[in-house]
Amino acid sequence: MTLLSISDVTTGYGPTVVNRNVSLTLQENEVITILGPNGAGKSTLLRTIVGLVKPRGGTVIFNGEDLTGRTPDILAKRGVVLVPEGRRIFAEMTVGENLRLGAYARTDTEAIEADVGTMEAFFPILATKRHQKGGSLSGGQQQMLAIARGLMARPRVLLLDEPSLGLSPLLVKEIQAIILGIGKQFGASVLLVEQNAGLALSVATRGYLMQNGRIVTSGPIAELKDMSLMRELYLGGITEQAS
Amino acid sequence: MDILIQQVLNGLSIASVITLIAVGVTLIFGLTGIINFAHGEFLMVGSIVTWIAVQQGIPFLPAMLIAILVVAVMGFALERGLFQFTLTRPTNGFIVSLGLIIVLQHVVILFFGPNQKSIPRPLSGVWDVSGVRIASVRVMVILVTIAVVAMTFVMITRSRYGRALRAAVEDRDTAALMGIPVRRYITGVFVLGSALAGLGGALLIALFPVTPFTGGTMVMKGFAVALMGGLGNLTGAVVAGLILGIVEGFSAGYGFSEWTDAYSFGLMILVLLIKPNGLFGGTSGPKMA
Repeated sequence: MTLLSISDVTTGYGPTVVNRNVSLTLQENEVITILGPNGAGKSTLLRTIVGLVKPRGGTVIFNGEDLTGRTPDILAKRGVVLVPEGRRIFAEMTVGENLRLGAYARTDTEAIEADVGTMEAFFPILATKRHQKGGSLSGGQQQMLAIARGLMARPRVLLLDEPSLGLSPLLVKEIQAIILGIGKQFGASVLLVEQNAGLALSVATRGYLMQNGRIVTSGPIAELKDMSLMRELYLGGITEQAS
Repeated sequence: MDILIQQVLNGLSIASVITLIAVGVTLIFGLTGIINFAHGEFLMVGSIVTWIAVQQGIPFLPAMLIAILVVAVMGFALERGLFQFTLTRPTNGFIVSLGLIIVLQHVVILFFGPNQKSIPRPLSGVWDVSGVRIASVRVMVILVTIAVVAMTFVMITRSRYGRALRAAVEDRDTAALMGIPVRRYITGVFVLGSALAGLGGALLIALFPVTPFTGGTMVMKGFAVALMGGLGNLTGAVVAGLILGIVEGFSAGYGFSEWTDAYSFGLMILVLLIKPNGLFGGTSGPKMA
């Protein structure tokens, strides 16, 4: 069943157009990824889906309901949650407060407390840092907290924006395991945006390739891996920088 | 010594009113980045509403509640009608507030004249505590302020709404991603700040006569207190208000009362020279995406 359907979305800031006529779908219990070089418009697309950026055109349909242009709190309430780039932990608030904020849209107090326990079991580091301020955590710990905070909303769609950014290879492995566990443990579908193509290709089953704000190709991961365009975009980008 | 205690109580009672303004200014700035200089006029409107109600024969306490309500509704209307359109550019909100000062002052002058207004003291008792004469009305002002500020403080630090408010102050966009309806919180903070100004206005006219121009000096002092504590920092505003009250009281007690108006600014300059972010560290206003 199609959970999230983006059709023909165009976005921009001021005079600049970022995304042009982007369409994609996300099925239930699916992990998909949007790949593409820096500045391709991946983050803007995610911000548009959750309503932080108003689209210039196109529609965002979640579970059959048109949510185009609605504010982020409505999207979160419906179950579409973004874990933003750069983690954006509330630095002045404790780890526990950060987790409970993730569940703001929920009113089932007892279940929220139970979910805090679940998160602390799934991300053991959060249990030990429960009363510490979010800002005192390391980058990797903050990323765990950001994902856990996102899951506290009991999302049906979790949008992850560059979760591996700035993390050591060891932590990237951990993030990989976590993303693979999200579907099984929490029943959420995942839309992953990553610059780390290795990570993205290892967790997703389908992918979209974005360049200059457009989707240039899409398909199952196995097919994408073999495409010459993929290699050109990633390897070509590297050689360009080197020369 | 007796005089000194009386003067400190006097200082604290005025500082109470100023603290109520500072709390409103600091809460609104913290969430929206808007420095609402018309907050003093909100207070003045609170005084005028109290005055009108008392003139109609309503006792002080219900008159005070009416003032709180009227100014809160006014704050709601102004946020919905004006300030919400300046959220992406808080400087515009500041300029709007400067315009509002003139509008509010002149509306009051138009209907009620420019002369000063006073009400009979709601509490006329003077207690004699071993030679120290304490005006009960001043004690009332201080106690009411302590109670209301404490309630605000508990709400912000302990409740679910307070937690969401603090999150929105720290990072508005991310707070929205958590499902927090940030726009509604902004309206709510305007209403809360306005209600506090309405209360301050009622308390002020219980102490002194009020003119349509009273708001100006009061907001300057309230702003100085908010800056001293760290703009956007509630605890800072309360502590700075307390310090101001004690300093004003002592200085009057030692016979320097003609300098009263200078103390708030002198203290502010001193504090900001030593700690540019205020005593408790302020916020820089909302992050602009």
